[in-house]
Formats: sequence, structure tokens, C-alpha cells
Amino acid sequence: MIFDWCQRINVSPCFCLIPAIIRISHWLHFKSGKVPFIHVGNQVVSELGPIVQFVKAKGHSLSDGLDEVQKAEMKAYMELVNNMLLTAELYLQWCDETTVGEITHARYGSPYPWPLNHILAYQKQWEVKRKMKAIGWGNKTLDQVLEDVDQCCQALSQRLGTQPYFFNKQPTELDALVFGHLYTILTTQLTNDELSEKVKNYSNLLAFCRRIEQHYFEDRGKGSSSIRSS
Amino acid sequence: MGTVHARSLEPLPANGPDFGALGEEAEFVEVEPEAKQEILENKDVVVQHVHFDGLGRTKDDIIICEIGDVFKAKNLIEVMRKSHEAREKLLRLGIFRQVDVLIDTCQGDDALPNGLDVTFEVTELRRLTGSYNTMVGNNEGSMVLGLKLPNLLGRAEKVTFQFSYGTKETSYGLSFFKPRPGNFERNFSVNLYKVTGQFPWSSLRETDRGVSAEYSFPIWKTSHTIKWEGVWRELGCLSRSASFAVRKESGHSLKSSLSHAMVIDSRNSSILPRRGALLKVNQELAGYTGGDVSFIKEDFELQLNKQLLFDSVFSASLWGGMLVPIGDKPSSIADRFYLGGPTSVRGFGMHSVGPQSEGDYLGGEAYWAGGLHLYTPLPFRPGQGLNAGNLCNLNYGEGPKAHIRKLAECIRWSYGAGIVLRLGNIARLELNYCVPMGVQKGDKICDGVQFGAGIRFL
Repeated sequence: MIFDWCQRINVSPCFCLIPAIIRISHWLHFKSGKVPFIHVGNQVVSELGPIVQFVKAKGHSLSDGLDEVQKAEMKAYMELVNNMLLTAELYLQWCDETTVGEITHARYGSPYPWPLNHILAYQKQWEVKRKMKAIGWGNKTLDQVLEDVDQCCQALSQRLGTQPYFFNKQPTELDALVFGHLYTILTTQLTNDELSEKVKNYSNLLAFCRRIEQHYFEDRGKGSSSIRSS
Repeated sequence: MGTVHARSLEPLPANGPDFGALGEEAEFVEVEPEAKQEILENKDVVVQHVHFDGLGRTKDDIIICEIGDVFKAKNLIEVMRKSHEAREKLLRLGIFRQVDVLIDTCQGDDALPNGLDVTFEVTELRRLTGSYNTMVGNNEGSMVLGLKLPNLLGRAEKVTFQFSYGTKETSYGLSFFKPRPGNFERNFSVNLYKVTGQFPWSSLRETDRGVSAEYSFPIWKTSHTIKWEGVWRELGCLSRSASFAVRKESGHSLKSSLSHAMVIDSRNSSILPRRGALLKVNQELAGYTGGDVSFIKEDFELQLNKQLLFDSVFSASLWGGMLVPIGDKPSSIADRFYLGGPTSVRGFGMHSVGPQSEGDYLGGEAYWAGGLHLYTPLPFRPGQGLNAGNLCNLNYGEGPKAHIRKLAECIRWSYGAGIVLRLGNIARLELNYCVPMGVQKGDKICDGVQFGAGIRFL
């Protein structure tokens, strides 16, 4: 699936790859271990950081136009997104009992036969809960998590302002990462819509996602699940 | 009246290699001559009583089944022979450390003039035995803890537990075994295990967690085993440079299979046989009792040994197998056959023959292998051998003629010489120098001397 993308995209491959990869990263269980990954020729590169490095080595980089200060700022925002949004998504999927029971458990175990589907889902849940405890999120309630998401979205919204992308007029890795996460939050059906509501509160983020989706994905005939505007 | 102490007699012809080991212990028969030299073997006797000394938790019914034949003996030699057979049967149960037989004339009020009493003096095994070993190999060290509870409930049930804790992997196995009273060859066992294996020739790591239940029974001279097994297999890559074909196979799968195995074994030893033959046929059907792996697998093993002049041994063996996936999914790398190595076609690298991708061997769905060996009677049994085999994947759209043709072309073979060392009754070590021939593109050969250790050799 991933290398199909590689072949079809001929403009800013880096940008297009990353959101697509992140979009599916949480909801599919790839057999190779760590997602996202790309398979190019003989090589397999996994996880966002190494993929960006790999693409950079091939001569494409989205952040070439930035100066050092902006690059540092970009890295900081990317860290924020990883620490906040990613963890909040994992929390909602695996630590919120209603979501786990109704959606995550069944979805995670769906490729496997009984009883493996239950065993693997419980194993993953245990792993995620352990990770949450390790980073101090073990005792957070859902409301606290949603508060954190709100604060993160506020920071992103402020940085974005009225610009089309986070830095100048050109998309960077940060745009790809933010798009990937926000798009996933907005389009994934969960029992609890509060997470997507938090994002929808910020209209410029919503517009940002819509714009990228239209420009990069719908143009190429991929519009499988689009952002529903409420 | 004289007494006869019979500890054990000459080893009688027995079935299967396990019996042979027991009979090889030191034997002697001591008969104190009487003043009157009677021809004892022709004297009619009646076994009146059979006593047991030393029974603790063992239940009576299984003992009675094993010694029933002793009562049928008509003369003294038969009594001695039947007592010996009963002793072997009791030892085979695996619940006694020692069994001594004492045959004496009957004393007491109801004693007949030709009556005999047979007494079995037994020492039961302890309730719990443990063992602790450390193992080093393949860049890994591990400690192995073993626990055995023989004769758990008094009817020769056995529970064994083994736990191996290593620097890289941990594995364990728990097994419950129960023979049928009176018919030891009919037995039932349930196993629970987790094993991890590393296969560097395929850059693959496999973790199996499984449960199996099997039932064995004899039919005439053959031994059959029916088994159900459910295994949760987790495949992963062993290194960053694993090929994509192997990466695609990684992940979790569940195999639930029913299998049947038939074994006819008339060899005198399973490790280094001098005479006899072995035929093993095994079928496995996976997928109809659950799981997501579906196939029919058939494999057989044939071995013939003949003793020639001057105690040299000629041995011929033939192995073969076929795997047919059912449905659309292709076969998994964990189910396919592998060929090559010091225990199979010698001269080639371990499991390094056949379909491969970037240096990782993927195994094949059909194979055959054959070997001819001549072992000389010198120490370490130096011998010459000829090995051949082929491994490939089958395209099931073509007919059986096409399969046979595919297996018959591009045969790998080798010839060479080597020495063999036997490690008790447990394993065999071989040191070979073989020249590989018919090497196809992609096969890995072993240049020079090859060392192999194991229990199953081609």
C-alpha cells in the first residue's frame, strides 16, 4: 500500500507520504513492527524521523526554505504534537473503557481468528496503559486529557493564524504531521465525539485540514473519507 | 529346598529401541545347586502367590494388569521368563527406581507341593524430582530448570515441567502424561509450551505458544498417534537486513491442526542402528478446527539398515514431504520444508537449499531427500556416504506429472566421508567432509568439514 503511494506521487513526495502514513498508522497493525514505514527498492525505512531523513538524503526536503530559528521552532511544535496529540489519541483509544469496548478492541483484533483477537487486544491495551503510567498520564481523567488537547490545538491555531501553512506559504514536515493527526481525529468514528469537537472549535485548523485534503488528496482521486463539516 | 534368585535374564527379543537399553544392563542368574539334581525346567509348577513389597502411593489395579501373565506360567523356566517380562513392564511404567524379583517355594498351610511364590521388591520414585542445568550455545546462555512428578495419582501419571531462562529468550513446557492401566502403549498426554527459535538462515525469529493433546495406541506392530495442536505463532525478523519476503511473513498467526502419525520401528537403536527398519508417515490437516492457517501436509521417513561382513553397517534412507495450502492464502514460512545441513543433505549449508530471497531461505512446499551410507566397524565408525535431495515450491495449477518433473530436475547431491560418535542413547555427533554437487544458483554450500549433532540424520 505504501509503495503504491511512492510511485504515484511525483510532486513533493515527502509531504504527501507523511500524512497518508500517519493517517493509517494508528488504526492498522502492520506486521513489520513499527509504523509508519516505506519500502523503496531494497530498503525498508520505518518511523517518521528516519523516513524524513531518508527522503532528505534522496534530495527532497520540505524545510529547506527555513532558517535555523524556524527549524528549531518547527521541531518544538512537532514535539508538542507528538507528546500531546499522539498520547491523547492513544489514551482515548485504549484507556477509555467505552471506546475500548465498543470500537478499539474489535478493530484491533479483526485480522485475527479467535482467540487471538482477544489476546492481542488485551496485550496491546496492557502495553499502552503501562506506557501511560510511565509518562505520568496513568491517573489522568478523560476531561483532563481533553483539556490538554484543547491547549495543544490552541497553540497550533495561534501559530497558524491566517496563513495557509505553518511557515510561510510552503508546507513543511510540521504541516504534514499536524494534518495527519488532525485528519485522523476528525474522520475517525468513535463513541465519544468530544475529541473532534475540540479540534473543530478552531476554525483555522479545520480550514487548514480541508485545504490540504482538497489540494493533495482529492485531486488525485483519493477521497475515501473526507472531513465532515458540522 | 534351594532358592532361586533371579535378578534378570538375558535380554529377550523386544519391540522398539527403548527396550534394548534396559536389557543391556549387567545380568546374571545364580542358581544354588541342590543335593538332588532335578531337571527343574521340566517340573510342573503353579504360581500361587505374587507379593509386592514397597508399594506406597501406587494403586493396585495398574500393578495387577502388568503382572497378570506370571500366573499363567506352567514350569520354572516360564516362571522366570514371565517374571522378567513383568519386571520390564513395571520399569517401563516409569514409577519405580528399582524392581527385584524373588522366586521361592510356597510356605504356609495352603501351599501345594509344586507351588511357587513370586515376590517383587520395588522402590518407588520420589514424588518430586528436580534438575538444574546451564546451557551455552549460539551466543546465548540459559539456565534450565526441570521438575518431574512421576506417578502423580498412583496410576503412572506423569507431570513434567521445564523452564528455560536465557539471555535472549525464555521458554517453558508443561506436560501431563497418562498411560492406560494394563496397556502402556495406549497413552494420552497434554502439553502446554512456549518455545522460541532463531533461524539465521532465513533471518527469522519464531515464538510459538501452544497447547496440544495427543493419544497414542498400537495396532499390531505399528504405533499410531493422533494429535490436536493449537499454536499461536509470532514471526519476526532477526536482523535489519532481512529481506522483504521474510518481513511480509512476520506477524501473528494461529494454527489449529489435527495430525496423525504412524510409526513402525524395528531398529535396535534409534541413534545408531545396526539393523532393522523404520517407517514414519505423518499427516497434518490445519484450518478446519479454527485458526487462520489452512493446509494439508504429508511427510514420510524411511530408513533401512543391514549388517554386513565384519560388523559394518549399510544404511539407506529416504525422506519426502508435501505441503498443500487450502484456500487462497499462500503457505507460511513456518510450515514449509527445509533442506540442507549436516543432518540432511550434507555438504550444503544448514537449511540453505532451494527458494531464497536476498540470502534468506524461504523453504519449499515439496521435497525429497535420500542417503546411502556405509559404516565400517572401526572405532568412531568412519564411513562413506552419498546424499541427494531437492526442494521446491509447487504450482498447483499443473498436474502431478509436472510436480514430479520439477522435483527430479536440478537435484542437489553430495558424496563424502566422516566419523560418527554416539552420545549415550540421546544424540549422535557426526564429523563429515562432503563434496557438494549439483549446486543450484542461490544454494549455500559448506566448504570443508561439517559438524552435526542431533537425533535425526539422513
